[in-house]
Amino acid sequence: MPGPRGLVQKPKNMKKTALRFISEIKPWRKQLILTIVLSAVGVLLTVFGPMILGMMTTSATTSIAEGKGILWDEIIRLIVILLLLYVVSGIIAYMQGFILTRISAKLTKKMRTQILEKISRLPVSYFDNVKIGDVMSRMTNDVEAVAGQLSNTINEIVTSVVMIIGILGMMLFISIPLSLVALITIPVSMILAKRVAEKAQKHFRKQREVLGALNSKIEEDFTGQLIIKANTHEEASIDEFNKTNELLCESSWKAQFFGSLPFPITHVLTNVAYVFICVLGGWFAILGKITIGNVQAFIQYVNQFNRPITQIAQLSATIQQIAAAAERVYDFLDADEESVETGNLTPILAQEVIGEVEFHDVSFSYDKEKTVISNFSAKIEPGMQVAIVGPTGAGKTTIVNLLMRFYEPDSGYITIDGKPIRDMKRNDVRKLFGMVLQDTWLFSDTIMNNLKYGAGKNIPDNEVRKAVKLVGIEHFIDSLPKGLNTVIDEDSDNISAGEKQLLTIARAMTQNPPMMILDEATSNVDTRTEQMIQDAFSRLTKGRTSFVIAHRLSTIRNADLILVMKNGNIVEQGKHDDLLRLNGFYAELYNSQFSDDE
Amino acid sequence: MLVSAVAIQAYGVLRLPTLMSQIINQGIVINDGAGDMGFIIITGLKMLGWAVLSAAGALLSSFLSSKIGAAIGRDIRDEMFRKIMSFSISEVDNFSTASLITRTTNDIATVQQTLMMMLSMMLRVPIMAIGAIAEAVALAPDMTWILALSVGTLIVFAILILSLAMPKFMIFQKLVDKINLLTRENLTGLRVIRTFNNQGFEERKFDKSNSELMKTDMFIGAVMSLQSPVMMLIFNGTSVLCIWIGISHLTFDASYLGKMIAFMQYAVQVIMSFLFLTVLFVMIPRASVSAKRIREVLKTKPKILWKNTGGGDRAMEPTVEFKNVSFKYPGADENVLIDVSFVAKAGETTAFIGSTGSGKSTLINLVPRFYEATSGEVLVDGVNVKDYSSKGLMKKIGLVPQKGFLFSGTVKSNILYGVDGGDIEKRMKEAARIAQSEEFIEKMPEKYDSRIVEGGTNVSGGQRQRIAIARAIAKNPEIYVFDDAFSALDMKTDKILREALKPVTKNSVTLIVAQRISTIRDAEQIVVLDKGKVVGKGTHLQLLKKCNVYREICRSQLSEEEFRKELENAGA
Repeated sequence: MPGPRGLVQKPKNMKKTALRFISEIKPWRKQLILTIVLSAVGVLLTVFGPMILGMMTTSATTSIAEGKGILWDEIIRLIVILLLLYVVSGIIAYMQGFILTRISAKLTKKMRTQILEKISRLPVSYFDNVKIGDVMSRMTNDVEAVAGQLSNTINEIVTSVVMIIGILGMMLFISIPLSLVALITIPVSMILAKRVAEKAQKHFRKQREVLGALNSKIEEDFTGQLIIKANTHEEASIDEFNKTNELLCESSWKAQFFGSLPFPITHVLTNVAYVFICVLGGWFAILGKITIGNVQAFIQYVNQFNRPITQIAQLSATIQQIAAAAERVYDFLDADEESVETGNLTPILAQEVIGEVEFHDVSFSYDKEKTVISNFSAKIEPGMQVAIVGPTGAGKTTIVNLLMRFYEPDSGYITIDGKPIRDMKRNDVRKLFGMVLQDTWLFSDTIMNNLKYGAGKNIPDNEVRKAVKLVGIEHFIDSLPKGLNTVIDEDSDNISAGEKQLLTIARAMTQNPPMMILDEATSNVDTRTEQMIQDAFSRLTKGRTSFVIAHRLSTIRNADLILVMKNGNIVEQGKHDDLLRLNGFYAELYNSQFSDDE
Repeated sequence: MLVSAVAIQAYGVLRLPTLMSQIINQGIVINDGAGDMGFIIITGLKMLGWAVLSAAGALLSSFLSSKIGAAIGRDIRDEMFRKIMSFSISEVDNFSTASLITRTTNDIATVQQTLMMMLSMMLRVPIMAIGAIAEAVALAPDMTWILALSVGTLIVFAILILSLAMPKFMIFQKLVDKINLLTRENLTGLRVIRTFNNQGFEERKFDKSNSELMKTDMFIGAVMSLQSPVMMLIFNGTSVLCIWIGISHLTFDASYLGKMIAFMQYAVQVIMSFLFLTVLFVMIPRASVSAKRIREVLKTKPKILWKNTGGGDRAMEPTVEFKNVSFKYPGADENVLIDVSFVAKAGETTAFIGSTGSGKSTLINLVPRFYEATSGEVLVDGVNVKDYSSKGLMKKIGLVPQKGFLFSGTVKSNILYGVDGGDIEKRMKEAARIAQSEEFIEKMPEKYDSRIVEGGTNVSGGQRQRIAIARAIAKNPEIYVFDDAFSALDMKTDKILREALKPVTKNSVTLIVAQRISTIRDAEQIVVLDKGKVVGKGTHLQLLKKCNVYREICRSQLSEEEFRKELENAGA
């Protein structure tokens, strides 16, 4: 994900998250310990490298000075040892990397699976309050940040720490005064770098804010371009854009510049230390306090010392980021689930249900302050059609939510064929209903598999064909390049909204449930398709108990029971004529639909 | 300037090993090991000077590259935004709004970031590499083959790893997309999945892709884990070779001691530079994809060009006339509109009805010249829309699109979006009253100054639509264009609103695209479209009598009984 770098998100409870994360990776603790040991050994081996190289130099220079020429036996022995060291440590490093990436991949998979399974265990109500994008980003960015960076981070921590200790040991061993010179610059450069980094943080934050503002401006203006054009606001819009764009330019160069400052600062300090070491080392060598080879080795150690230190400095930010991401994943995994179903559940079979539904004194509220349905009772005989009407936003889907047990009533209960649904398995209850909603959800697969979705893979293909014929979309499906085997994409443009709706009807038909829930709202559909949908609906509801979120007059007129909703409440119930006679909200609603009627 | 800053930085760094080798050769080893302390200190001071100078160069170059990078980013963004604002709807459709948004946000961000990296690295890395090679060659010409060998091995290895991992990377990306798709489906289809009890099925499907992804991930991991150990091996091998060869020279040239140590450090610089280069080569393809997507937009020429002047004052009797208008989307085979002609007069409502794909929305978009008629003429107040300036034409038109779109700001800024001057306050309230929004706006905490967030999501869909209608009314246009603007309202509000609109539209042309018969039955003129052709023109009753398509539409929306009654009224 491209975005401004350098911004650290802080976790809320680092310790708790860390403990949980550790328990999460427990299954791999043996491999993890092994990799830690391996990398410690590997790094320690390489630390001897410069020392041995220095020994070679010393051996050569002294033997030449003594006039003995180069002692090749000794040199070659040292070279063989060195090469062995490097090769062995290389193999060890590879083994360690190999194991860690495997653990990483497995952990990523595990976390993804956990999130997906969590999605299917969470109550529907949870998703009414969160954005899809939010859950998506936990699944993608956060899992990636946690599990994906695990291997790198563990690797870096271990190698950096071992390297710092190892190099420090070697430096101290070679010369304590030289080590002191080298070490003095480290805290100085770290403090300076930290100061600058803090300043840079401020600019990064500013940059992110401005970038956010600019991106929303872009999104808004491109989405509303029609309106901008219709009001010839282009120039004003460009001016506004330019102001923010200028601000972004300002803050982004500052962020970039201050963000890169630590590099030259630490660099100049390292170089200063380097110079001092050269001078001091030279002096000591003249005094004979130190061999020439050790000066050479020491210089190499100083050059190598810098890297693990900056790595460790950056690590704290990385770890915080990982913890923050892990926390977001855990927050999601810890959300309250649908209650576990235990005890004696009434078994219920779709084939045996006749479809008598009764509401017994049901009360319900989405939040405790506002009761949505209070003491609602109604008996729906098998095969009856119930119409739910009311203006937009009146809460017509509440009834559906209760029937399908997406939500549970606060008091009272609902029975099907005389048995309370709260004593049944949620899945069993849901199986009793076919549902065609306004939101025509199809998944990316063939039409055939989509239509079989509810009924299971075992249903014969000709059943599907029968449903297709009944809904009247045979011709449309035949016109597609691969017929029933045509794949529907996420944004299939080869299929219109109306056709999608017809497909969901065919899906419900294939499922053949004893009861139906339908939403008639079909705003973006042309009149002919509308006619087809309506015909299909009446075929679907025939002989089945059905609940229809009604938008058509014919539906309400023929309904056996009308539930009139307003502001989330059921305000009236009864048959069309009775309700008209009541001259209440229903009558008002009904009469407003035709201007010069009657 | 940037180049010289980088050069100073690089040169400074590169001086150090040579100076150090002088310390060893002329400071320590000289005088039979007695050394020359004065020389050591002078050389040390020189080194300090170069280190500081190099840091100053680094500061300057990073200052310049940040400024240049940010400025280039700004300019691309600016050019992009202007370009897209000049697009007509068909160019926007071509790219899709979502894609234009990503191109202007993510793609430019990627390019800018790469640019900033390149500015500082692209210059520094080659300068460092060339400088280090030059220094190394000057120092010890007979050891250069070591450099060639290690760099060569490095490149071969990098190519090997990339060619092994790249194909898998592609597969990896595809699988990640698949996982995202499946997750999204699970979230959007939550209710459906539960209704059909298919959680288990979905989980298995997910698990399959998830496992594949894990395996690919492991393979890539196994290959990429090779990278760092092998690199280290090349690094260390180079050091060993340097010392070995250096030592073998020592017998006949004592100055090789310092040279050898300095050479080792140059070798490190060279290898590091080549490592950076390979990183750059990985980054460039990504950025070049983005750059290509940006260029595509910038290269597109808007098809509709406006005159600078044109369009007069408010007409007394505004009209909209279509004369044999046909329209074809660019690149399409079939016409969306075929030979459409009608006249819409002031004080009358002209409604358009027909099934999806009948072309009614396209038709209405020709009036504000969002699209250009392929043949025929679109006349506003008797003048071809091509002869207007954009301002001249737009000020005559009040448009309400299908989806009520609001800008972030306040209720007020939204209603007054198209207004420039006059008694603003009064106009705003009047427009809100007619659009049936007064009641809910007055109930909002800060009334007309209440905030509207991006996308207008803090008001309901119906309210959004009503504010959008108020925006058109406040403009007091000659021509009202309602593109299916009423279907988001419930029937009751729809009716009251249209009733309230009548007095304001009595000197204006009103064009309405509608789905509901009830919305348009009172219109003075209804134009029935079918597959781009006008198949009927007239009032509700006339059309019921003579137009088959219209009768079909009515039948689908009314009950049997009502339909019969309607037909009787029409005398059919």
